Amino acid sequence: MKRRERILYLLPACILITAFFLFPLCYLIYVSFFEWNGLGPMVYVGLENFKAVFEDPEFHMAVKNTVIWMCAALIVHIPFGLVLALMLNRKPRGWKFFRVMYFIPNVISTTAVAFLWYFIYHVDVGLINNVLNAVGLESLAHPWLNDPDSALIANMVPFMLYVGLTMIIFMTQLATVPRELYEAAVVDGATSVQVDLKVYLPLMKPAIITNIMLNLAFCLRTFEYPFLMTGGGPANATTNLSLYIYKEMTGANRYGRSMVAGLATVALGMVVMIFVILLQRERRKERAK
Amino acid sequence: MKKRILSILLTAALTTGMLAGCGGQSGGNETERSDSGAIVLDMYHSWSTDTERGAALDKLIQQFNEENEGEIEVKVTINPDFPAYQEKVKTMISTDTTPDIFHYNFNPNDLSRQESGKLMDFTEYMDDEWRARFGEGDLENLTINGEITSIPFEKAGAVIYYNKDLFAQAGINEFPTTWDGLLDACEKLEAAGITPFSLYTADDAWYTCNLFTYLAASYAGIDTLNKGGDINTPEMKQAAEMLREFWNYTTGDAIGANYSVASNNFASGKTAMAIDGPWLIGTLSEVEDQIGIAKAPSFGDGKVPENYVVTDAQTPWAAAATDDKEKEEAIVKFMKFITSEESVKQLTLDGAVFLSPKLDLEDPDVQATGGLLGEYLALNSSAEDSTINIQRNLSTAANSALPSLLESLALDNITPDEFVEQLAAENE
Repeated sequence: MKRRERILYLLPACILITAFFLFPLCYLIYVSFFEWNGLGPMVYVGLENFKAVFEDPEFHMAVKNTVIWMCAALIVHIPFGLVLALMLNRKPRGWKFFRVMYFIPNVISTTAVAFLWYFIYHVDVGLINNVLNAVGLESLAHPWLNDPDSALIANMVPFMLYVGLTMIIFMTQLATVPRELYEAAVVDGATSVQVDLKVYLPLMKPAIITNIMLNLAFCLRTFEYPFLMTGGGPANATTNLSLYIYKEMTGANRYGRSMVAGLATVALGMVVMIFVILLQRERRKERAK
Repeated sequence: MKKRILSILLTAALTTGMLAGCGGQSGGNETERSDSGAIVLDMYHSWSTDTERGAALDKLIQQFNEENEGEIEVKVTINPDFPAYQEKVKTMISTDTTPDIFHYNFNPNDLSRQESGKLMDFTEYMDDEWRARFGEGDLENLTINGEITSIPFEKAGAVIYYNKDLFAQAGINEFPTTWDGLLDACEKLEAAGITPFSLYTADDAWYTCNLFTYLAASYAGIDTLNKGGDINTPEMKQAAEMLREFWNYTTGDAIGANYSVASNNFASGKTAMAIDGPWLIGTLSEVEDQIGIAKAPSFGDGKVPENYVVTDAQTPWAAAATDDKEKEEAIVKFMKFITSEESVKQLTLDGAVFLSPKLDLEDPDVQATGGLLGEYLALNSSAEDSTINIQRNLSTAANSALPSLLESLALDNITPDEFVEQLAAENE
């Protein structure tokens, strides 16, 4: 392919990235130095917005909650998806049915899922509390979304359960593992668990890295669950960075501060990307050995 | 060669298409005309037609369109989610797509709309006859920098609705006249297995802020509250302390709940009291005979008159500034129509709304109004004094912080004193 053709093929992507990422990013940086309510004139305030945001306890809470979301993805969601993929890879009876069932929630609107769970958790008419009451476990009934101690976990449960996409990525990788490796291990007397741990797991690193990247990115930008299920409450217990940006912009009309929080999110995203790149580099080194 | 040219053309078309998609709408003040040559006025409001007030307004708009056929046509877009609606209006103003006619919550601490220079100034059209249609002071309050950029419209009192049957079940035959008496009543209701109050914290926390404003007015006096200024006062802290006590008597879903949840709790008989505007009446049709409207309690120390009300913010009409004189006159014609005596009567009686443009209380139809609406009109029109819900006068930043502060207060994460101090700090 000639140089000019290469440039031509890259041009649309370059234009789109410039228009929809680089240009907004530059504008975001620019506005972060101004006090602006979205309508009136913009007033230059230097680093005031940065100071205000970094001293804001609600921002600290938002960062903390976003990091908790990411940790939950790493510690619970991805291992859960991996276990499901390994189980279905053994092709038990009805495995195709379960594969579809686990994936179905991923094609439903997140908004619908968030509302569904809002009503599952509802303190009075919610499924969980009504079931607990019906089976005589009234003492366990709880205002799941109204208690700061349970609200964040309640927010994360839908994400944890809708593990289908993570599972499918793992299953795709598993399908590429040569059958001979499995058969050789079985002939050598390896148990199913040993096959999973010693044969499959080491070969699944590319899928693990992909899932880490996709899940961390999702956690960084997740908005619907805290917005629709708890509105960031109670008392900011479920506010994350996306919601903080939204509240500062449309609630408080502090566009400058909102842009600072946006920049913080971009910075956190870059840390995540560096982490993923390091993982990939590590894998390449291993392969080279 | 052909392929190369084709690929270049495709790339150019794709890029142009994408960039065209990024463009904003054309300016909002160009006059649109219908096929018949009538000036089209795009109206944006939040009164859904499946509500009494929305249906009444819709009927009036249709009447106006019929009366002005071939000259003016009002086209309506409705967004019933009021908080989202308000934000959309702001966005439309900032992007030069201001609706020709729209309404909004007036907040003296947020004059961004009025000061945007994008709203029409009605000063030259405000003759004495039209001026006389509005309640005392309402027009003055909306005159910003000498310009009348908003026309007073809705100004509803938020009154205490209570379920008489539930009160009777708890052995309470009369609505208490003091706040301490109301706390005792809450205790009795609770003991009878009835949740006393509908409150909520999401969005504008309207019910909760109504209660807070009534308490603040009772402690500080209506005059003090109406003067505005710093809210970090001992009286406000006392009010916050009592609000915290009342929080013990609300539903389990009050933290995080929004208006529809809280109003439904009251309408379905789950709670015994709610403080709301006249629009609630439409949702109470099935239980109307069980519901009463009570005068707000006081501390009996004379700081507030016997009959005082907390009102919603003024929700006036405004219009997009335009260079087209003909369009301006069409907007004024509609505004005069919608604030006329006949329109106000129709909106009040059919739509159960309480408006700033004057209602003829001597009108036989108005006098014959019975039921809850009759009670509401009687209480509002005889009110000796009023103050605006405190939330409506807070800055946007304070309003944004209000839900989390109320939740922190309810959860005892902060003390009533800290609640007021933090709210005041956000309000600066």
